[in-house]
Amino acid sequence: MAATKLQAFWNHPAGPKTIHFWAPTFKWGISIANIADFAKPPEKISYPQQVAVACTGIIWSRYSLVITPKNWNLFSVNVAMAGTGLYQLSRKIRQDYLSDEKDAAPQLEA
Amino acid sequence: MSSAFKAFLNSPVGPKTTHFWGPVSNWGIILASVADTQKPPEMISGNMTGVLCVYSALFVRFAWMVRPRNYFLMVTHSCNECVQLYQLSRWARLQGFLGKKKEPEAQE
Repeated sequence: MAATKLQAFWNHPAGPKTIHFWAPTFKWGISIANIADFAKPPEKISYPQQVAVACTGIIWSRYSLVITPKNWNLFSVNVAMAGTGLYQLSRKIRQDYLSDEKDAAPQLEA
Repeated sequence: MSSAFKAFLNSPVGPKTTHFWGPVSNWGIILASVADTQKPPEMISGNMTGVLCVYSALFVRFAWMVRPRNYFLMVTHSCNECVQLYQLSRWARLQGFLGKKKEPEAQE
């Protein structure tokens, strides 16, 4: 049973022998790269790039549900892109605009 | 000329379809990266830039093979490939991967 299902997947016209599989699958790399970059200091985050990643993710998430048939794989990868992009933006905004007063105080005390 | 414009408007990958607006949103990534070329290379993320290079190469092929064939998506990702490779080269030079040709000659 499992062998025939695996064969069906392997030979599918949008399966792993085709670009229709690998291109959307590799799009997960963008979110994974963003997650790896969570460890980097917020000074290194690029506002334009993360705004673009978040907006692309949001727009493609909507459209993946509007097309026929609905593409849940495409939906999930773009939700992840939007989520990681928005989180990176929140880290940078928090440092640039929300933590100035807090940073100043410890420096005076030290 | 207006008939060509009408043909574009009514195209199966034209502005009345999602096949058009998805790639339009992808131009945001390209324009952001063009803006980032003016910033110091220390700001470049090697992870993200490397991933975007592979991602755009795959999607050039995808845009060619998908039906209907999506030339707009293909051009979009070709442009992104160029700017991401340029950013990757700036990052690699900063990391020392692109080597210093003059120093070995001086040592010899």
